[in-house]
This record gives sequence, structure tokens and C-alpha cells, in this order.
Amino acid sequence: MSTGFLQSVRTLFALKPKQKLTAQYLLSLFAAVALAFLVGAGIMLLCGYDPITCYAALFKGALGKPRALGNTLAKTVTLCLTGLAMSLAAKAGIFNVGGEGQLYLGGLAAAVVGARMNGSPAWLIVACSLLAAMAAGGAYAWIPGALKVKLKVNEVVTTILLNSAAIYFCSYMANGPLKTAERGIESGTDSIASYAAFTPLIRLSNLTTGVFYAAVITLLVWYLMTRSTVGFEMKITGTNERFARYGGIRADRLALWGMTLSGMICGVVGLLEVFGLHHRFMTTISSEFYFDGMLVAMIMRYQPFGVILMSFFFAILNIGGSAMELSAGISSEVMLIVQSVIIFFMAAEGGISEKLRAGAAARRIRRDARRAGKGAAV
Amino acid sequence: MSENAPIVRFEHISMQFPGVLANDNVTLEIRKGEVFALVGENGAGKSTLMNLLYGLQKPTLGRIEIKGKPTSPHHDPTRAMAMGVGMVHQHFKLVPGFTVAQNIALGMEPKKHKLFYDQKRINAEVTELCERFGLPLNPQDTVGELSVGLQQRVEILKALHRGADVLVLDEPTAVLTPQETEELFQVIRRIVAEKEMTVILITHKLGEVMRLSDRVGVMRRGKLLDVLNTSETDERKLAALMVGREVLFSELREGAPGTREVLSVDRLSALDDRGLPAVKGISLTVHEGEIVGVCGVEGNGQTELTECIMGMRPQTGGTVTLNGRNISRLDPRQIRAMGVSWIPEDRLRTGLSAQATVTENLLVGKQRLPEFSRFSLHYRKGNARRYGEKLASEFDIRSGGLELPVGSLSGGNMQKTILAREFSFDSPVLVISQPTRGVDIGAIEFIHEKIMEKRNAGCAILLVSADLDELFRLSDQLVTIYEGQITGRFPNGEIDREEIGYYMTGGR
Repeated sequence: MSTGFLQSVRTLFALKPKQKLTAQYLLSLFAAVALAFLVGAGIMLLCGYDPITCYAALFKGALGKPRALGNTLAKTVTLCLTGLAMSLAAKAGIFNVGGEGQLYLGGLAAAVVGARMNGSPAWLIVACSLLAAMAAGGAYAWIPGALKVKLKVNEVVTTILLNSAAIYFCSYMANGPLKTAERGIESGTDSIASYAAFTPLIRLSNLTTGVFYAAVITLLVWYLMTRSTVGFEMKITGTNERFARYGGIRADRLALWGMTLSGMICGVVGLLEVFGLHHRFMTTISSEFYFDGMLVAMIMRYQPFGVILMSFFFAILNIGGSAMELSAGISSEVMLIVQSVIIFFMAAEGGISEKLRAGAAARRIRRDARRAGKGAAV
Repeated sequence: MSENAPIVRFEHISMQFPGVLANDNVTLEIRKGEVFALVGENGAGKSTLMNLLYGLQKPTLGRIEIKGKPTSPHHDPTRAMAMGVGMVHQHFKLVPGFTVAQNIALGMEPKKHKLFYDQKRINAEVTELCERFGLPLNPQDTVGELSVGLQQRVEILKALHRGADVLVLDEPTAVLTPQETEELFQVIRRIVAEKEMTVILITHKLGEVMRLSDRVGVMRRGKLLDVLNTSETDERKLAALMVGREVLFSELREGAPGTREVLSVDRLSALDDRGLPAVKGISLTVHEGEIVGVCGVEGNGQTELTECIMGMRPQTGGTVTLNGRNISRLDPRQIRAMGVSWIPEDRLRTGLSAQATVTENLLVGKQRLPEFSRFSLHYRKGNARRYGEKLASEFDIRSGGLELPVGSLSGGNMQKTILAREFSFDSPVLVISQPTRGVDIGAIEFIHEKIMEKRNAGCAILLVSADLDELFRLSDQLVTIYEGQITGRFPNGEIDREEIGYYMTGGR
């Protein structure tokens, strides 16, 4: 819970779910990205590196080879699903900051089911693991959701706190009661049935058949948020909760369901990590993946389509950053700075452009009034 | 300075907020040593004028002089205080965990050796201050444990401690009990008589004006209508000035109201957002084909009353009955399902979602009908669009496009959007609050016709309004509400405007 967490919470209060993606906002976003790259270039120059070489290495490292592209796409999937999980809840007017814990629990549940069912047909294992992961993540998100809806307990606080509880619980299980008997494994559960694991789509890359599950979920979430009656009600609730209640929409139920679905998606992300990459539950299955996803969601104002695109961009920065470190020699932390600068500008965007607009309006009013006053005096 | 020299002078003050002219060419002189009352309905511009004096906002046009000196172009509360102006707001700005003395000293604490906070000295100073102005208070009490009246006294002392000799009190009695009000008045009289203070009182309670003030200024819609010597006027005259407006419209009523009771409220009580009693045992009945008009100066419990009926606010006592069924514990969705529609007074907070489109706002409440939702799952956007177009043309909603956010429409068109949606349910019961506030004359006429159509078709309508003309024109029955209680019930036509103004301000 370090930088990612802090950034998330700060940004949370700056980027409101009410705002829409307007042309003007996208323009600001573009400007912020350009500025951030310039800042990054400045730092590279200061450190004695050639920015052009570095940036070339970045994009080549993220997209240049099939394997790199596969890794970038795999990262996109994670960011996209976590981002959508955040968006879904936020659109219904409730903030899920606890996705990290839900992800861990989902991963653990999937790993346990995947290992215990060894011998069953692969499709059955995957189906049961999916159910288990969704149940674990969803149930864990339901707790703060219900607390919020029934008792008005602030969900930001509870979800943050529940993160630690889940992560330590999973860590204990992986090191204690559920620790595998296999040799050479420091901490982790039994490995899942090997024939049920997702197979890589591109050799040696992290991109596996799991991407299809992710695609289905993405499509479903996109449909739910933008094309369904529930999505309509979510939009009304998210933009004016009081109006929604007044209009007879069950805002409470929407928020609770938004939260639970969000947790279910996080659980599936955990499953994807287990079935795609590690083939068992380990405490390293996530390193603040959910917080990265949250940032993407907030920057794109919780619009599903925007989240998908932005995930890809952030994945390039993430995967390309490591490659750049290897080939150009500059630390990949530079890319963290670039990301932070983008977030910084986007968090300030609302305030800056509002201030500009308000200033212009005030000037106009004063000018008009002065003119009217003069006219009357003459 | 001579006896009647102006201590504060407003010269041709105009204050433009986006869309509202809050002050319109106000010229006003406050004399030294007087109690000046500024009266008017909510939104008349009286608080705005005083905020300008205290430097919370800058006037768009005009100038302000305090004790003969014009205010600086960068006038702000600090500068206002330095010129001797203090203001006590409706909502106190105190630190609850601090003592009385600490609150009064806050921001200008005495120091020991230029470094340490000198608790003893500030206690002594405050004790001395209390004695000088005759306001007994224990400097070491914790403010959060004091009654509201005493907290207000701390606020007044805070202003006096900073050297204020012009004291602005914004609705000072709104939160006080009658006894506390009485004490406050004694305090005001004392500081004015003995210490040459000038007090400006913002209020809409005319009884207080008559008892306390030397002169009174009446504001309506940003304009200062008149300044009168209190001794030469009376409550009725002031009430007429405050709310009066000529009737322009023709009679629309057809037939007599029915006799079947539809909506009845029995000894209802509820709290406001601050947790103070706002509705205190209100009973009223609406029959079919009848409009019951609730008249009262705003902020006397009308908002809470309608919110209670619609299930948006928990009630602390009493019952609401609809067609013989108790609906006190139901939520807005259930109450709507029983055939009640509601036009709330607060368009953007309750009646609309500003960021959602016009069509979406028109559709809310019907989104789950099969026409707009296939299997309660798929939002049928095309049907929604056509439906929106139909309603918009029926109610003459003018917009740049129905896919634009409703917040981009003018006030009148926003109001028509709400009206179109609520009337489209064909509910037999309507609760309508402030249907024409901030709406231009043409739209008012249209809205009145639509409401009357519903009444003539047999709907039971509860109409809450601050506009007396509207109430006289539309209502069959009039009830007056003051401080959360019904003060009078009259069949329309058996009471005149002046008399009703008297009931509205707690006259009887």
C-alpha cells in the first residue's frame, strides 16, 4: 500500500464520477500525456540519456515483438478488468477501493477449487473455479456495500481496511493451512490441475486463453453500463442520487449490486492470474494491480470504452518501461513519473478549466453590467 | 459625526450572479445607532447585500461606504472587520471543542513573550468584555456544550471583541426558542442604547421587525422597494409589500371540488436537516378535484412537509393516509406506484439530474415499462427518444436538442421537463411545490393551465407556493403555515391578501 494507494485516494476526490468524457476533456487528456512525455524527456536529459532512444526502446519493448505485445495485452486485460470493476461501482454511486483484497480472495478460491478438482473434466474445473472466484470476490465486496447501504458507513474507509485483512488472510493460508507439499515452493497452495490451466496464445508471453474470458466480461460490463435499463438507472443514480430516489429508482439496491459485481470481477482477475500465470495461489499474484486499474478508471471518468483504450496505453508504459530499462539503461521508474504527471494533470484538469471558465464568465458579466450602467447614465 | 449621519452607505449596488440579478441598483443609507431591519422573502437579495458589506462577495456595480470611507477594491471580511463591521451568520462559525474564550480569541490570541498562548489573559479579557456589554458568559465553558442561544451570544461577542460597531445579524432568531429570542432582543437593545452600536437585522419575521427596529427596508427580487420608519407602518403593509404582486391571469376553475378524501395528513411532525423540529403537528386533507394551497413564507416547514408525504424524509410523528391506506412508512417508489406524482421545489437537487439528457430526465420512472425495456434488461433507446420528442412537443419544452444535458436548458424549460414527466404518469394525486419559481410569465400561464386541467379532471392537488397570486388563483382551499404549524384555514375567496399575509407571519 504505497504510492499507488496514496495516488488513488488523492485522485479519487479530484475526479468525480459525474463528469462526462467530452471533446474538451479528451483534448486536456492528450495535452497532459504530451506534457508528461516532455517532463519524462527532461528527466532523461538531466540523467544524461537520449530521450528519443529511450522512448523508441519503450515502444519497441512494449509492441516490437510478438512476445512483448503478448505481455502488453495481458497487462491490458488486468488493467481493463480492474478499471471496469471500479467504474461499475462508481457509476452506481459507490467507491470500491477494496478490489485488491477481492482479487486475492478470488485467486485463492480459484486455486483451491482448481487443485481439489484435479481429475474432473477441464471445462468443469474452470467453470467451478470461476464460480468460486466470483463468489469469494463478490461476497467480500458485499460486506462494505451492505454496511454503506444499511448503516451509511463510508465505503472508501471500509474497503481500504478490508484490503489488508484479505491480503494477510490469503498470505496466512498460502503459508499455513493450504501450503503445498511440493518441494521448492516457499509459499503457495497446491498447483491446479495442469490440463485445466489456460494455455499461452503467444509463445513465452503472459497472454493466455484467459483473454477470452476477459473479453466476455468486458463486453458484458460494457453492455450493462451503456445499453441496459440497469445502466440507465445507474447513470441517473450516479449523477444525482437524490433525484434517483425521488424518481422511484432503488438507488440502494443499485449501489449494493454495483459493489458486488465489482468484487466478482476482481475475483475473476485473481483467477486469471492463477490459471494463466502462476498455476497456484501465491502472495505475489498481484502487486497493486487494482490500484492501477482504479487510476485508469478515474482518468477516463468511468466510461467503459475509454477505460479499455487507456488500459492499453498504461500497459505500454508499464511493459515498455521495463524493456527500456534493459535496453536503454534508464530506470523504469521514469515511466512511473510520466504516469504520475499524467494523473497529476488530469486530477487538476477540472479545477483548472473550471477556473478559466468561471473567470471568463465573471469578466463577461461585469463588462455587460458596466455597459448597461453607462447606457443608463447617458 | 452628527446624530443621523450614515454609518454605511450603499450606492447603486448591483450584484449579478449567473442568471440572477441578486441586487438591482440598491441605494441605501444606514444611520449610526439605529436598528435597521432588512426584510424580504428568500432570494429577495437581502443576504447578498449584507455579504457585499462584509466583503464575502464583490458587487458587480456600485460602491459601498463605511463611515464615510469607500471600501477598498479588495474588500474582504478582514478589511470589513478592520472598518468595524461584524457579521453573525445563520450557521455559526465556531469551534465546538474550544472554550468560549478560545473561540473569541481565535485568530488574534494574546501572546506571552511573543510566543506562548496566554490563556489567563484571554479569559480575563473575555470576562471584562462580557461585563462591559452585559452579556453574561463563562469564558471557560466549552462552546459545543452551550445552547444555541448562548452560542449565538459567543458569535456576537466575537464580533464585538474585534471592535465591531456595525453588527449584521443574518436571520438571528431562525434557530432560537422564544425565550432565547427574547434574550437576544434585550441584548440588541442594550448594546444599541449604551454602546452606540448600529445593528442591521436580516429577517422575514415581521413581528420582530415591529418590535425591534427603528427603520425597515423591504426588498423584493433584488430591488429595494421602500424604506419606512417602523413606527409609521404595520405588519400588514409590510407583508403586502414583501410578497404582493398584481394578478394578470384569467379564471380557469371549472366546477366544485369533490367530497371524497384522497390525501390526508394527520398531526404530522418531522425534523429539518439540522435536526430541529420543522413540521410540528400539521393536519390537512385534500379531496378529489381540489387544490389545497399551502401559503407561508419559505422556510416554515413546507419543504419538510412535502418530503414527508413523499417518503423522502423520516417523520417523527403522525400519519399520512392515501385513499384510506397509511403510507407513512413507504418509500418514494411505493408511494409513486400508488398514484402520487411530485413536482419538487428544488429542480436541480431533486427534480432533475442536470448531467443526464432531457430524454433521460423525461423517462425516469418509466424506464422499466416494456415499451422502454426489453425483458427489463435492454434499454430501448429509440423508443425513449420518440417518447421524449412527443412529451417535449406536448409541453413545449424548448432545448437545443433532447440529447443535451437538461442542465443546459433555461429555468422555465427545466420546470416544464419536470412537469411533463410528472403529469405523464396520470396520477390521481399531485404534490406540487413552487411550480413557477424563476419561470417567466409566459411559462407561468402555461403551467397554471396544466395544473388547473388536472384539477378539473379530478386530481387531488397539494400546492405549496411562496407566490400568493399563484395560490389565490389556483387553490380551492388555503391554509397558512408558520413555523411548522397551520395558523389558518380559509376557503379561497373568503380572505384577502393582506389578511393572509398576517397569518403567514404568525400574526395570530
